[in-house]
Amino acid sequence: MKLSKLFKKTLFGIIILFIIVFITIIVFSGWYLYGNLEDEYKSKGTAIAKSIASSSAETILNLDSATVQAMIDQFLEIEGVSYVFVVDSNMEIISHTFIPQIPPIIKEKTKEKLPEISDINIEGVGRFLNIVAPITEGAIGYVNVGMNKDSITKRMWVVLINQIIVLVSIFFVSVVLAYIMVNKISQPLNKLIVYSEKLLAHDFTAKIDIKSEDEIGLLAKTMKSMAENTYEVFDRYEYALKDAVMELQDTLSYLTTIIDNMADGLIVVDKDGVINHLNPAASQIFGKPEFEMIGKDIFTLGKDIEILARNSLLSDKVISSEIHLPNNRLGLASAKKIEKENFADDSDARGLLGSVILIRDITKEKEIDRLKTEFITTVSHELRTPLTSILGFVEIAKKKFNDVIIPALNMDDSKIVKASGTINRNFGIILSEGERITSLINDILDMSKLESGKVTWNFDYIHIDDVITTAHKAMSSLFEKKSIPCFINIQLGLPTVRADRERLIQVVINLLSNALKFTDKGRIVCNAELAGDDIVVSVKDEGIGIPKEEQETIFEKFRQVGDMITNKPKGTGLGLPISKKIVEAHGGKMWVESEVGKGSTFYFSIPLTTKNTVGSQDEDTNS
Amino acid sequence: MKILIVDDEPLIRELVVQIVDDLDMGIEVIEAENGLEALDKIRTETPDLVLLDIMMPKMSGFDLCRILQTEPPHWKMDIVILSAKGQEADKQIAKALGIKKYITKPFKIEEMIELIKGYAVNRELL
Ligand SMILES: Nc1ncnc2c1ncn2[C@@H]1O[C@H](COP(=O)(O)OP(=O)(O)OP(=O)(O)O)[C@@H](O)[C@H]1O
Ligand SMILES: [Mg+2]
Repeated sequence: MKLSKLFKKTLFGIIILFIIVFITIIVFSGWYLYGNLEDEYKSKGTAIAKSIASSSAETILNLDSATVQAMIDQFLEIEGVSYVFVVDSNMEIISHTFIPQIPPIIKEKTKEKLPEISDINIEGVGRFLNIVAPITEGAIGYVNVGMNKDSITKRMWVVLINQIIVLVSIFFVSVVLAYIMVNKISQPLNKLIVYSEKLLAHDFTAKIDIKSEDEIGLLAKTMKSMAENTYEVFDRYEYALKDAVMELQDTLSYLTTIIDNMADGLIVVDKDGVINHLNPAASQIFGKPEFEMIGKDIFTLGKDIEILARNSLLSDKVISSEIHLPNNRLGLASAKKIEKENFADDSDARGLLGSVILIRDITKEKEIDRLKTEFITTVSHELRTPLTSILGFVEIAKKKFNDVIIPALNMDDSKIVKASGTINRNFGIILSEGERITSLINDILDMSKLESGKVTWNFDYIHIDDVITTAHKAMSSLFEKKSIPCFINIQLGLPTVRADRERLIQVVINLLSNALKFTDKGRIVCNAELAGDDIVVSVKDEGIGIPKEEQETIFEKFRQVGDMITNKPKGTGLGLPISKKIVEAHGGKMWVESEVGKGSTFYFSIPLTTKNTVGSQDEDTNS
Repeated sequence: MKILIVDDEPLIRELVVQIVDDLDMGIEVIEAENGLEALDKIRTETPDLVLLDIMMPKMSGFDLCRILQTEPPHWKMDIVILSAKGQEADKQIAKALGIKKYITKPFKIEEMIELIKGYAVNRELL
């Protein structure tokens, strides 16, 4: 049987306690008993000696030793009496009870008078209390009674042993009692321990049956409700966790599905340009299975995309460029670097994770674009030839009419005067409308070329003031015609910019002609100044202005302010979009500030350090 | 002076003929429908000025110029492009082919008159 720790401790305590009690009891009762018994023996011995002395006086006087002998012999029957002897006044032993003879020590001791009570140790026999009683005051002799000291000890031990027996039985009873009690406490405790161990192992279905109402029962109850609570909390959290995990998985698979089903190719590279992730569209675009692409450097997909990826890792902006794809296809790729949100914990490359690249196969779009441009080019050329004839012949007709016919007419006839005036005006209308068609064709052609990027640019270092004055000169007759003054205000010492002179002149002419077109009264100011790293040119008028909501849309193709049908303005709505495209090709911006009724100011900026977003394309478009 | 107008469009040729006639400066105008015909006329008639369209069947204006470049120089002859193609790229090609003047259709009558007159004056000075 394994003893519980608690019981062992209790047992130890009991043993210590009992040892103390044993020692105390044995020492004290032994000492007390011994004293008591000795006193008893003394008085007993004294009484015996005295009675012998009083009764033996005559006998001794008679010196009848036999009688004395007989008398003293009977005293030996008394408990504790070991010997009796009588001495005469001369200390001669008259009679004694010693068998077979008087021990020499007695003989020796009796030579002198012995004290009333003394200890005598007879070698080989024992220790005795020698009690002396005088016979007739010592005149006749003395009676000596020897009380056995050893029997005192013996009697004492008898009592003590009884006590010890009682104590030992009490000890065993208490041990048994303690065992039962401790068990009674430790058993439920053990159960509690087993129970709590189960709880610790998250076995919340474990049972405990302690029904007692004491502290342990209370503890068990508390633990039980605690376990239930914990179980509930656990259960709830487990459920919530399961829910969260499921939701997360759902979201993840949702995102993965989106990425995998994207029409565009998606490639993620790390900060070293190694492909980390891609979607099926990307692997289709590059005609390689996914496993052949992942883990490879991006340059394995071509130089274009590698340059794009590397540039995007160095930039905060989205970078786009056209890239060559396998099988002579063309793609449009946009890349943006990705960074860890909180990179404080990781100083490595400032939390740069890599770059996300989106690739779209634009071969078809490009082809359609090319066809569109080609179509527009062809149509416009086909239109130009008949236009040339119309305008040319009308002009000749007008000239001939004025040079030859009119002088030959009879100008006195009011009808003829009127008719010739009408004819002249009509010739003028045909010519100006024909010119409008021409400029429309030019604009459409320009626009389509700008949109398809098939413009031949002549970038060179030019002076902005030359651009503005040239444009102004071209427009001056029109300004005069409408008698609206136009002022030029160019900051002195403007640096040269790398730009296409003819194209910039086109932009300024567009802005000036718009300003003139939409101004009936007031003046026009053309400004040019340095603003940071840009040269900003503005054309300010005091015309009708543009409502806020239209200020963005007027830069779109064919967009004009107002109702297109009821108050159709002159023009096609291509001037601003063309101008904007030209400016953007220079890396600049175009914007407007305007207030209805007060006037408008159109601005465009040309950066001093041209990033050459288009560059000089040498592609030929003659076909 | 002799002007050669090369254009596949008869009305354009007619227009040039009318303009020159109107000038009344005794300038002769000969016509060609395409580059091939023009090449023949240049070789046989030695015109002083060629007004040359670009897009023509059989042989384009540019191709004609390229052929002429391989021939011994026609010292007296000048070529002026007269084309509906007004794109910068075309002008660049023309420049590369050594052509100094480029007129886009539609053109102003005055412009044509100025041009012809200019050449006529130069001719007389020579
Ligand atoms: N200075 C201005 N003041 C008021 N409105 C303007 C001004 N400039 C442009 N707009 C408005 O913006 C529209 C678009 O201008 P845009 O130059 O693109 O086309 P357009 O002048 O109508 O035609 P196009 O220039 O092709 O002959 C104009 O029709 C006009 O409504
Ligand atoms: Mg305009």
